[in-house]
Amino acid sequence: MSANGSGAPKARSSKRTDKLSLLLTAVGNQDKAAFEELFKHFSPLIRSFSQANQHEGSYPGLHEDLVQEVMIKIWQKAGKFDPEKASATTWIYTVARNCRIDMLRRKSNTQHLPLENEDYWQETDENTPSSLLQQKRSEDKLHAAMDRLPHEQKEILRKVYIEGKSHSETSQELGVPLGTVKSRVRLALHKMQIFVPFDQQDGLIYD
Amino acid sequence: MTSKKGFCPETEMLVEFSAGVLGPAESICVSAHLHFCSKCREALLQLDQLGAKLLGEGEGEPSGKTSFEEVLSKIEFADEDVKMQSEPSDEKQVVFAPVVDRLMKHNLKSLKWKKLSSSVEMAQLETGQNVFEVSLHKICAGGKAPVHDHQGLEYTVVLKGSFSDERSVYREGDFILREPGQPHQPIGAQNGECICLSAQSAPIKLTGPFGFLMNKWLQIHPS
Repeated sequence: MSANGSGAPKARSSKRTDKLSLLLTAVGNQDKAAFEELFKHFSPLIRSFSQANQHEGSYPGLHEDLVQEVMIKIWQKAGKFDPEKASATTWIYTVARNCRIDMLRRKSNTQHLPLENEDYWQETDENTPSSLLQQKRSEDKLHAAMDRLPHEQKEILRKVYIEGKSHSETSQELGVPLGTVKSRVRLALHKMQIFVPFDQQDGLIYD
Repeated sequence: MTSKKGFCPETEMLVEFSAGVLGPAESICVSAHLHFCSKCREALLQLDQLGAKLLGEGEGEPSGKTSFEEVLSKIEFADEDVKMQSEPSDEKQVVFAPVVDRLMKHNLKSLKWKKLSSSVEMAQLETGQNVFEVSLHKICAGGKAPVHDHQGLEYTVVLKGSFSDERSVYREGDFILREPGQPHQPIGAQNGECICLSAQSAPIKLTGPFGFLMNKWLQIHPS
């Protein structure tokens, strides 16, 4: 487990004390000054996160609508943020992702949608102190490993996560075969030590 | 062949789920599987951390017209709304998986079950999209479904009990993908009925004798 000695101190608690997590905690206590700082930090990031231009449901003002909707959600839900369980950025990422899907789905769909994206996600139960600590350590490790990813792998991850493109859209856009896109993603995950169970099933699934 | 590891969605699906680019029907199936699979939940947590890291290190687009004051003024309105709707009590017991429970509105009996064969029943779920037909399938204990094939993709998640086919036994939580050209015959386990969530993207084709007689009953009707 200590192969990638990143020099990070071995914290005994999983509680995040970075600036953003402290700010988000303050926002949970209705602190408007902290909220303004978070706004300054995240609104440009959220704006670039809505570059899903080709997407069904996308429209010219989507960027600004998303910034507003995400910031409002952050204000309303910050009280539920628990720095032991997640970093502020991860927490805000999930809020932004869910808002983006819901906005695109609402625009592209004339039918009533019985589910909000939040409904697809459930609170995890892996919340014992040791598992939380382990989660935080794997997050630190992931960050260090991600900084060392080759450009071609990171580029694909950015297309999927930030530009909201599927693997096949990414493959078309980059002019790279779908199989290559998939294997670059898998290689990247492997380097970051994210182990998806499917990869360990060795031929149990139809091929 | 049996496996103690269980069947999980392929890597790409989990990544697309975490990135929020997976379609609604596929997302429902992944979500149902997650309820049963702690390994996938753990992987997903890390995938979300990955997304967050990518979000955080983006260059960002600072020029925008939304001002902080604008957001604040909207919040004051929105706060009123929030106070109006009291928090839903999420203490209800999970029947199958939270996402499935929501779709069937916590009531198995209110679903319209339709007999597909002597041992298989099906009830459609409304999901607000029309790419996949999403439904629950029930196979009675020891019941044999007709041999059939699909013209499109079919995702299946076992919600209760187990079933088997020529290749394996599938237990609660297992996530199975069928592609066209893989005819199969699910058989319910002897010890009780089996309920599965399924999402199908095209009509089923019965391949057994007299299949042609039944094909017309099995057209999909996405809702």
